[in-house]
Amino acid sequence: MFELIQTIKIDVEKRRALATAFVPANHPLFADHFPGTPLLPGSLMIELAAQVAGPLAEEFALAQLGVERWSILGMVRDARFLHPVFLPAHLDLSAEVSRPGSSTVSANVTVAVEGERVMQAELVMMLLEASADWARAIEARNERLARWKAS
Amino acid sequence: MSSRDTLSEVTVLVRQTLALPESEPISAQQLFFYDLGFTSMDLLDLLFRVEQHFQIEIPEGTIYRLARGELPEAEFAQDAVLTETGRARLMALLYDTPPQLFPPRIHATTLPRFCTVGAIVRLVDHKLAAQQCSS
Repeated sequence: MFELIQTIKIDVEKRRALATAFVPANHPLFADHFPGTPLLPGSLMIELAAQVAGPLAEEFALAQLGVERWSILGMVRDARFLHPVFLPAHLDLSAEVSRPGSSTVSANVTVAVEGERVMQAELVMMLLEASADWARAIEARNERLARWKAS
Repeated sequence: MSSRDTLSEVTVLVRQTLALPESEPISAQQLFFYDLGFTSMDLLDLLFRVEQHFQIEIPEGTIYRLARGELPEAEFAQDAVLTETGRARLMALLYDTPPQLFPPRIHATTLPRFCTVGAIVRLVDHKLAAQQCSS
């Protein structure tokens, strides 16, 4: 689920994050979407954008509110899929905080391919207090984020 | 813009938020969380729609700030729980919410839960009036 993002840069002061992803044509998810013409599903574009908006929301909450939160996708607003994305494809993703809050952070997100915007939306990321049960998930998140940031 | 106009526009937005048919009656007295079955995400969705429709901003904490007014923070809430004075001021602001719905201890983050549709209409009118004054 998280192997498609390759790099991420989060600038909390500017309230934005930029990321890159590579989606191969032969990923098992796309075997029947569609045979011979692999096409990136819109729902996956939303998921990839949320993978960028999530860490942005978490770091924003930490910097602005001084609280450590675990961010998950809460609402998708005004999603537009502007062009089909045939695979394989390199994606440029951006997320910018549009509405900060103590329990949610909203971000305007875009996905572009070769400079052309293919998707835009506003994502509402919920900020949850992590429970002890989430230790493994948080550890994996931290490893993943460190890897993305180092690339 | 009159309050009556605002009410009819807000009720349209409420219906859109909950995907309710036009035939579904929405009244100013209805409570979002108790009567209409709103979740916090529904309320957020409605506020987005209200902001977009009326071209106003309703940042987080608006109800809190309106209820507090000029009262010093420490007199309004302590450890994020409303004081007796804070609770009374909230009840005065949300005068159309049945008093028995306000628990003795009200956490500062839960204030929107006590809003009626009418309270949001008043908030919109307040914002629109402030916008007109500043322009």
